[in-house]
Amino acid sequence: MRRVRYFIRVQQLREISLLLILAAVIYFFGREIEDYYTARMYNRIATQVALIAVIAVGQTLVVLTRNIDLSVGSIVGFTAFYLGDQLSKNPNIDLETAVAIAVGVGATMGLVNGLIVAYGRVPSIVVTLGTLAIYRGLLVEYSGSQSIQFRQLPDWIKTLPSEVLYENFGLDLRPLPAIAIGVMLVFQVVLLYTIFGRRLYAIGSSPEAAELAGIPSRRMIMLAFVISGALSGLGGFMYLARIGTITTDAARGLELQVVAAVVVGGVNIFGGSGTVFGAFIGVILISTIELSLIRMQINEFWKDALLGAFIMVAVLIDTFIMGWLRALWSRTELRRASSVQKVQSI
Amino acid sequence: MQSINLHVILCAINDFYFELAWIMDSLPQPVLQMHNISKSFGATVALSNVSMSLYPGEVHALVGENGAGKSTLIKIMTGIYQPDSGDIIINGNPTRLHSSAQAQAHGIAAIYQEPLVFPDLNIAENIFISHRRRGFLVNWGKMYRDAKKVLKRLDVDLDVRAQARGLPLAAQQTVEIAKAISMDVRVLIMDEPTASLSAHEVTQLFKIVRNLRAEGVAVLFISHRLEEVFEIADRITIFRDGELISSRPTHEVTREDAIRDMVGRPMGKVFQRQPSEVENVVLSVRDLSHRGKFEGISFDLHAGEVLGFAGLIGSGRTDIALATFGIEPAHDGQIYFDNKPVNIQSPRQAIKMRIAYLPEDRRQHGLVLPMSIAANITLPIMQDYANALGIVQNEKERQTAQDYREKLSIRTPSIDLPVRKLSGGNQQKVVLSKWLNTVPRVLILDEPTRGIDVGAKEEVHRLIDQLAKQGIAIMLISSDLPEVLAMSDRIVVIREGRQMGIFDRATADQEQIMGAAMGQLEMERDHA
Repeated sequence: MRRVRYFIRVQQLREISLLLILAAVIYFFGREIEDYYTARMYNRIATQVALIAVIAVGQTLVVLTRNIDLSVGSIVGFTAFYLGDQLSKNPNIDLETAVAIAVGVGATMGLVNGLIVAYGRVPSIVVTLGTLAIYRGLLVEYSGSQSIQFRQLPDWIKTLPSEVLYENFGLDLRPLPAIAIGVMLVFQVVLLYTIFGRRLYAIGSSPEAAELAGIPSRRMIMLAFVISGALSGLGGFMYLARIGTITTDAARGLELQVVAAVVVGGVNIFGGSGTVFGAFIGVILISTIELSLIRMQINEFWKDALLGAFIMVAVLIDTFIMGWLRALWSRTELRRASSVQKVQSI
Repeated sequence: MQSINLHVILCAINDFYFELAWIMDSLPQPVLQMHNISKSFGATVALSNVSMSLYPGEVHALVGENGAGKSTLIKIMTGIYQPDSGDIIINGNPTRLHSSAQAQAHGIAAIYQEPLVFPDLNIAENIFISHRRRGFLVNWGKMYRDAKKVLKRLDVDLDVRAQARGLPLAAQQTVEIAKAISMDVRVLIMDEPTASLSAHEVTQLFKIVRNLRAEGVAVLFISHRLEEVFEIADRITIFRDGELISSRPTHEVTREDAIRDMVGRPMGKVFQRQPSEVENVVLSVRDLSHRGKFEGISFDLHAGEVLGFAGLIGSGRTDIALATFGIEPAHDGQIYFDNKPVNIQSPRQAIKMRIAYLPEDRRQHGLVLPMSIAANITLPIMQDYANALGIVQNEKERQTAQDYREKLSIRTPSIDLPVRKLSGGNQQKVVLSKWLNTVPRVLILDEPTRGIDVGAKEEVHRLIDQLAKQGIAIMLISSDLPEVLAMSDRIVVIREGRQMGIFDRATADQEQIMGAAMGQLEMERDHA
């Protein structure tokens, strides 16, 4: 029991609750849709989740510090286009270099956001609304109204999304979801076990106390934006690999999906609480609902409205489950506390 | 025959009652009476059995230290708090006030040190903002005329069309008074209205107060400036620790009486510290100034010494601490650390020099409430608890937390509990542990015992004593006069951002310190 309690913290009750809801959603669609549990459906969801999840991880770090990054969609679009252009010009660029370019471009754009927010003291919603438009503008200017065509790309990137790294029970692990899971795990560890993570939570929970404790808040906030940019750059690479054909409209509006997933995943929009793992489940939940609705061939008009309704119901139920889990938790905690006291008094 | 007699007797009785009623009427009736009012917040008694009356055409001053219960009384009068027991009697009728709107309907209004005007509305709109009798459309012409009339009654000259934003504080206050007048106020409560006014503006305000008095308004005037109280008040009531100590006409009170009534708390309950061996100077401050907050602050802080900072709330003591810790660096003057001039621009720098600051507001500034006790303790020097990869070493961190839990007897079932769940006293011990863990040479304590229970308070006092014995230089800011006197080796008194003197503990008493804090007594000892 002590072991279990060591691994499950109060904050993780939220994740348990979200997993329960996810299971319920999958069960619901499984009953509504024939042949729902297929490898094809799984792969579709996994690929979509992979792209959004990587960006949502970066967004989580930013939101933890009481900020928001709305420029992620534009960064994804720009890096996807820029990288596609470079690859079609120099087909001998290899995988590692391509990823490095994408991450580097994204990180630079994130650095601009971070510098203005942290040192210019401009509210992040204003800064990133601005750079959302500016980065998109850069893309339009850079593209010269051309688009990147799938056939221009080198072969290795065309086949990358459908490679199979590992297969079991008819489900396979492909490179893009593998990247997403890797990123999620790394940042889960960073947030829970490193100084950097601890500092982000402190800044978000109580900026004044963090400042008084000598935490370099501005540098930390800037770093969060740089990471969000870098992961968006990585997202740009994944977007290019998956879609292939990039227009100036690439990944437009993605920021809203990302923010929605992060919030549904239990990251407090006012900072200080939430985990990368929670955001990851949030992404899976939203993507599953969305793709299942598409699969049901619901009229385009109703699809978005239904998606919104589903998300709201999910969050509502989540609040109830959370309340229940919390009560359960504090009851066991009390019992434990009193038993500890008994032991001490003996 | 009998019936005639009866008639005569009845007439006589009737006449007697008529006379009595007439006499009663001609005697002034209190407009507001507070009868045996008590109020507690949890274990703290804010007011106990307070009775006082306000008469029309009287300026009644309310005086007392911070925390004496004045604010609670005002909040009960204006319907913000409900008394636990006792009656509020308005014009002879016992009344319950459930909201400030209800208090206003009974003609009771309050204005505060910071006026609450709407900056984007003009003066006339501000005056009539809460009037209910309004048609569908605003009759602007009538509103401006009425606003002018109200201002004329106060005998002030202000443009009713001017926007409230940008008006000087004094004018904004006048607008608030005008607002109260326009609502037919019978009792006007003024809570430290002069605290941020210049001498000239105070004169203007007093002219308005005298006009109000002439119109028969009862004014309850609260101020920490005794000279003003003696200038304007007809009656002075003094509070201490939630009790009414005295209430006398102004001409029967001397300033010395007033100060004695305000302090005079028994010293016996407080832990008495022995004066310490003073070692070399660690921190020395010369002519430190921060525009609008404090100026000309100079003191030396020795290792092993407790230097007390006494003064009223808002006198600038906390600002001096913030400047020393680099949060709001001073504009002028010089800080020396180990006799070397230093320029502290951020808390990070201060922590590196081994200065620690325990803030006044522990929940907001001292702790990250959702984090565990252990994580809070290691926060300022987390780098010492991480390996090369930046990963926090759990065992080392927990060991430190366990050590402090025992050393400071923090009462908690587990060091993994979020600090939010601890009591005030235990939370304060966590903040203390956090700073002790940085091994400070200078420890600034800002109201370290505010809002914690008696037992924890004494533990904190013993701890301060131990720390001084270990050679830590301690700055102790406290509004608790007996505490400052019992704990400090020397006491710096700050009044309105200025240093009133440094008193030696051996010779200082409560009256002296309070007198200096309120600007009353002549300095006998200067710069010890």
